[in-house]
Amino acid sequence: MTARLDRLVRVELRKLATTRLSYGLLATSAGLTALWTTLEASRAGTSGGPAPLSSYSGLTSIVTGGVWGLILAAVLGVIISSGEFRHHTATLTYLAAPDRSRVLAAKAVAGAVGGAVFGLAGYAVAATVGLAFTAARGYHVPIGAITFVNWGFGHLAAGALLAAIGVTVGSLVRSQLAGVIGVFVWSIIIESLLGGLFTALRPYLPYTAATTLAGTPLGSASFGPARSTVAVGVPLPFAAAAALLAAIALTGAAVAARTTVRRDIT
Amino acid sequence: MATIQIRGLVKRFGPVTAVDGLSFEVRPGTVTGFLGPNGAGKTTTLRMLLGLVTPDAGIATIDGMAYRRLPEPLHQVGAVLEASSFHPGRTARAHLRIHALAADVDPSRVEDVLHLVGLTDAAGRRAGGFSLGMRQRLGLATALLADPEVLILDEPANGLDPEGVRWLRELLRGFAAEGGTVLVSSHLLAEVAQTVDEVVIVDHGRLVAHGPVAALTAGGTGLEDVFLELTKEASR
Repeated sequence: MTARLDRLVRVELRKLATTRLSYGLLATSAGLTALWTTLEASRAGTSGGPAPLSSYSGLTSIVTGGVWGLILAAVLGVIISSGEFRHHTATLTYLAAPDRSRVLAAKAVAGAVGGAVFGLAGYAVAATVGLAFTAARGYHVPIGAITFVNWGFGHLAAGALLAAIGVTVGSLVRSQLAGVIGVFVWSIIIESLLGGLFTALRPYLPYTAATTLAGTPLGSASFGPARSTVAVGVPLPFAAAAALLAAIALTGAAVAARTTVRRDIT
Repeated sequence: MATIQIRGLVKRFGPVTAVDGLSFEVRPGTVTGFLGPNGAGKTTTLRMLLGLVTPDAGIATIDGMAYRRLPEPLHQVGAVLEASSFHPGRTARAHLRIHALAADVDPSRVEDVLHLVGLTDAAGRRAGGFSLGMRQRLGLATALLADPEVLILDEPANGLDPEGVRWLRELLRGFAAEGGTVLVSSHLLAEVAQTVDEVVIVDHGRLVAHGPVAALTAGGTGLEDVFLELTKEASR
């Protein structure tokens, strides 16, 4: 009944480390980020593309463009919780730790650790691509080292919080396929639509708030017509964006703990 | 040593009453067969006993406590409820190491139980490629990992070859001989007759018979005939 939370977190981290899916997802995230940022960097300074890489805004849009790492961090969170039902492993998990709220908390923490890795990996790939293009074009880097460090911390926090939200989504829907599709539809379509139609609402949308933590200019993490290569509107302050995402994760976890997590395991 | 107690257990799924006021007790040092036709409520009862399903009424305890309240449940109870509750991409050894960590037992115990169930050579293979018999053995290895006092097994002989069935029988008899408590559901009545000391027979979620095998078959009637007669009467 009272299995220590740190032991449960280590169990969940070991589960993550012993399946190929975790590594495949990380590789996919890095690959998508490399592809996306390479395409964007190659268009920098051209008509319709991002600003030149010699400018602060141009290089910012590339280096903070590792959004696939953040989206896939949320997907990782969904898989951590819903995978228990997909593979019928929930029975053994709850036999080992009958306190299901504690298991959910452990999954959220483990998801946050994994999500932080995804966020940082995406940032590392995007920064490498951005700096490589900047150097290849003979420009000086227009951004200071402290800013790079801050963005790294922002990607870490954004990946961690989105993965924790993903864990609660997976606990609520239980269907892995529905949860994963839901993450993509929400971040790529729904937030782009809502953010494009209601610009005042945009900073408060969870995926957008996560990209705010990562330093992405407001609007440039959107997809389709809602996407902008220059900042549109005023993003939330870092602390407010982090608090918003933490509140969403905690609310989702509280709802899941009182509803779906209590259901019979038949 | 731990006693299993089921008292007035009731579980309904919508209009269907899966378990209907079931009561029985399983004593330490015995192997008790839990028998009943398909849909009799055996699996639901075992899941309520293990805290996975919440009863509508009644209580199920192990050593006087609900499973969810056991301080270190894997040290007290080993359970196998389904043969496929493993991540298919994880190796048998990795699976057991995760559960060793969950149970807070020494990782060296993993090799012990792999040897015990005869899976040492397959320990590095992914569980998704295991046969049903190998999955059953891995489930038993998981259940035995923390050296529990109670074993609760749902159809553990499914998929085992004759040698495996004999090995399981000896394992359960040895476990009970050392004072352990065993509750095992099965459809293999001939095998049950050779393995168990007592049987609990249920039908339509109700208790039909409970007692030593020797007493139920005292008239020279085989366990299979006794079972069919009792469940036929209950269905009338």
